Amino acid sequence: MMNEEALGWVIRTRDPEFDDWDAFTIWLEGDPERAAAYDVLMAADADLADMVPAEPVVMPVAANDPGVRRPLRWIGGGAIAAALVAAVSVGLLSRSDIYSITTRPGETRSIALDDGTRIELNGGTSLRLDRKNARFAALDAGEAAFTVRHDAANPFRVTVGDAVFEDAGTVFNIVHSGDATRIGVSEGKVIYNPQAEAIALPAGRALSDGAEGLRVMDVAPQAVASWRQGQLIYANAPVGDVTQDIARSLGVTLAATPGARAMRFTGTIRLERDPSRFFAAAAPLMGLSAIRQGNGWLLKEGDGSQN
Amino acid sequence: MATRLIANTGRTTGMATGLSAIFFQNRAALLRFLRARGAGEDAEDLLQDMWMKLEAKDLGPVADPLPYLYRMANNLMLDRYRSATRRERREQDWAEGAGGVMADPNDDLAVDERMILNQRLEQARGILADLGPRVELVFRRFRIEGVGQRLIAEELGVSLTTVEKDLQKAYRAMLALKQSLDTE
Repeated sequence: MMNEEALGWVIRTRDPEFDDWDAFTIWLEGDPERAAAYDVLMAADADLADMVPAEPVVMPVAANDPGVRRPLRWIGGGAIAAALVAAVSVGLLSRSDIYSITTRPGETRSIALDDGTRIELNGGTSLRLDRKNARFAALDAGEAAFTVRHDAANPFRVTVGDAVFEDAGTVFNIVHSGDATRIGVSEGKVIYNPQAEAIALPAGRALSDGAEGLRVMDVAPQAVASWRQGQLIYANAPVGDVTQDIARSLGVTLAATPGARAMRFTGTIRLERDPSRFFAAAAPLMGLSAIRQGNGWLLKEGDGSQN
Repeated sequence: MATRLIANTGRTTGMATGLSAIFFQNRAALLRFLRARGAGEDAEDLLQDMWMKLEAKDLGPVADPLPYLYRMANNLMLDRYRSATRRERREQDWAEGAGGVMADPNDDLAVDERMILNQRLEQARGILADLGPRVELVFRRFRIEGVGQRLIAEELGVSLTTVEKDLQKAYRAMLALKQSLDTE
């Protein structure tokens, strides 16, 4: 039998705006059993994040087959399409009108293309554009948000490694680091590898392609490219990803212990220029502690009380 | 009894109100809270821990210092509870010969385990869907995306009470599912 009153307090205290701690204290004092009931339900609540499909795995082939690193790449036209894209990229590369735009870590830049498309680059990003073809971009590293003027006859394409994202009237954000790519769509629709898997990503969907294979998940549209508003918004995101986003946005060297990387984070982190002040506020939010390490920072588990 | 302080002194005056000052002004109330929260004899020690952390961290101005301190105290108690139950479970696992290795949920799971996991996700998704689109949306916004109830009510153009009721309904269903899965 569930304790309805305790459940009410779980919901109330979980609200980010909750501030009636006096009333909560008085309720707790009414019966010593209440604190215990609250603890039990709060612990159950903590497990809900893993149960609720914030990351509904809709690619059963990839998700059920951890033995193969990137199964989809070798199914059907995937490999052929990848080869085709590579050929196209090489062709474009050899032309002189391809140019690169890079940002240093911590620096952001906004680019307006002739067709009305806007690209915002987060820190530590390298992007190639084509002066002769405003519908092309290649993200080589880092993070960029695309607000695309849609033209059905001539879709905007972003290549990332050997993957292609094709817009269908869209605002979307792509992160590319190492072998992993993440895309979140906040408006319209994006098609992933239109010539191969052709996965449609409507607003509110995200896709990640990394060591775990291809995954499609939900994302809050306003969380997509939230770095442009000076904040990072996450729902059940691996702390490893969060770490990279922070490093890119702040321009700091940031590492995380394996234990910290394996944790997940839900919430909003406000970006702040001064790293000391930023980590003092942000690390406890993630249930971690940040310590200065040489020129950089290290995120580790625990609240930092025992060292 | 508990002195209630204006929570947003820092914001209205634009001054860096030290959290530690707020901490001292509300020491008695925080102690009372920790005791009510089940800290018993350890309440004083926990308060001391909190103080050390505040000193060590040198936090900048916090928008709402008092709720921040209460939340910190509440989290301390939740951590205590979690580590206690984890210890219990570990001891039990040892006794049952299951070994003491805690599996990292992000490690690669065996295929059949992953299928069970997917089944459970589908089950949870189905239960949420059955509650109706509004209840599902409210629950997702609140629990997964961390949006406050007042904001959700504004977004949906419904009353705060409606949001509260939707959340209760979704929580009851999800916690019941969790219970049934845990005992499987």
